[in-house]
Amino acid sequence: MIIFKDIIKQYKTNTQTITALNNINLNIKKGQLVILKGASGSGKSTILSLMASLCKPTSGEIIIKDTKISKLSDNFSSTFRQENIGFIFQKYNLLPNITVKDNIILPLIPTNPNEEFLNKRLNIVMKLFNIEHKSNIIVRNLSGGEQQRVAIARSMINDPDIILADEPTANLDEKLSLSFIQTIKELKELKKTIIIATHDPLFFDLDFVSKTIDIKNGVIIE
Amino acid sequence: MIKINTYLIEFAINSILREKSKNLFIFIVLTLLIFILSSIFFITASIQKELDISANSLPNIIVQKTSAGRVSQIDINRVDKILEINGVQNAVSRVWGYYYFENAGINFSVVGIDQFETQYKNTLESITKKHDFSELEDFMIVGSGVKRVLEENYYKDYFNFIKPDGQFKKLKIKAVFENSTNLESNDVILVSKEMAYEIFGLDENKATDIVVNVSNPKEVATIAYKIKLMYPDTRVITNEDIKISYANIFNYKSGMFLSLFIISLFTFFMIIYDKSSSLSSSAKREIGILKALGWRTDDILKEKFYESFIISFISYITGIALSLIFVYILQAPFLRDIFMGYSILKPQFSLLFAYDLKIFALLFFLSVPIYISATIFPSWRASIIDVDEVIR
Repeated sequence: MIIFKDIIKQYKTNTQTITALNNINLNIKKGQLVILKGASGSGKSTILSLMASLCKPTSGEIIIKDTKISKLSDNFSSTFRQENIGFIFQKYNLLPNITVKDNIILPLIPTNPNEEFLNKRLNIVMKLFNIEHKSNIIVRNLSGGEQQRVAIARSMINDPDIILADEPTANLDEKLSLSFIQTIKELKELKKTIIIATHDPLFFDLDFVSKTIDIKNGVIIE
Repeated sequence: MIKINTYLIEFAINSILREKSKNLFIFIVLTLLIFILSSIFFITASIQKELDISANSLPNIIVQKTSAGRVSQIDINRVDKILEINGVQNAVSRVWGYYYFENAGINFSVVGIDQFETQYKNTLESITKKHDFSELEDFMIVGSGVKRVLEENYYKDYFNFIKPDGQFKKLKIKAVFENSTNLESNDVILVSKEMAYEIFGLDENKATDIVVNVSNPKEVATIAYKIKLMYPDTRVITNEDIKISYANIFNYKSGMFLSLFIISLFTFFMIIYDKSSSLSSSAKREIGILKALGWRTDDILKEKFYESFIISFISYITGIALSLIFVYILQAPFLRDIFMGYSILKPQFSLLFAYDLKIFALLFFLSVPIYISATIFPSWRASIIDVDEVIR
């Protein structure tokens, strides 16, 4: 379902070229839960960004659901994300000055959905992540854990097949982290393909993880 | 059929409300600029209309005698000679002049009326029907501005003119007249012709000038030429000459407005330049987040379009509405004085409602599309940067 072929990603600064990923090859099947493990700066987040088509590889090919996303134009990349990807960002990337409800529906706004469908999806995800009672609260007034649940709900509003999570427990205490893991388990049961980039040991011994990939300095450690 | 995305419009409105103070500031500045520009346009259009009406009510030709380059009194016998020219409808000698009222520091225009002569203006014709200037009683009919100034100086029912020989001439104020344009009537005092002779101390066989009306307006220039040939010592002024001279004064004063106009535009474009050349980091980040969530560049541009259109269009409507109120209801305090000049009489002058759709269109295109472009351009630049780079 997700295939990385000889992916190289380099960033250019004024003075030097930094290689973030070097010759990455991946094959993730539908419904798998994959943990990308590695220290900060190892290249985990870059892999997620490439999967979400937030950036393009310097070389190599990325194929997701039979689409060569590394070749997509900017607008098609957006449409691809909108239809297939739910992204839980490390810093949540919520709009702090609008309500929980307005944040959650953001991915659906460009599709101009009918009201009934929108409300149905909204109720499902808010119930799933237990934030119904917070729907009209301005996001900046929520706790870290609540904000994370909003971010997860937002990533699920378009019912994506692929969920990407970047250091999802980095800002959570152990109790909330365990609650997040439970949520991930439930999503896996819904046959979602989930890729989590983390260095949190809580994820390493989970029995429902399909695969753990170690990354160091932009290279997969076998 | 294109279905309007109401969620996008709602998001745009929320976006405006999220940055209340910033957007309120932009709204106030834009409204103020549109208000100033439209007020300038409305005042000039209104005064132009007023001047056109005044100029159109003038006689076709005015004949003045000149002596050593100065205007002097003209012999009234010349009226009969002028009437002999083919095409002349009527010719009337006028006795009029300026009377300086020292207490208020202003000039009144004193006009002598002969009850039995053909009046050279419709307004005078209607006044002579209402009031008989051949009565023995000494009276005058005054413009509304004159009435006000006299009352302010405690002349409620009469006024004492000082004649050239130093004697007083007491005239009763019989009535106040209004005209279709106040420019024409505001400072005018109508008296009988005999009284005008007495007030100015003129010779009985002389007049201030002769006014001539011509049957065919196309013949005005020809007849003016014939009069000039007949009396080389005269200055023959046609109403076209007067219109040109009005226009010159008007254009001179428009120059001051033009300066205001240029300053306003300059300020507007400075704001536009500032807005189009930068975008705050939080605005860039928001665009990055929206793109990461699957918004296309055109979705972002549409949202920014709605946002800027709502602000600029509301500013445009508010600015226009405020200037209509300012110019036509409040009569443009301060700005009007630039045009109306020195006279204390002039504040009674009322700006006539005049509009030109081109003015509305010009103001619209000077404000709304420019503001929208200045908003959309930096948003477009932010939306084509790698999303990953913006949100990390």
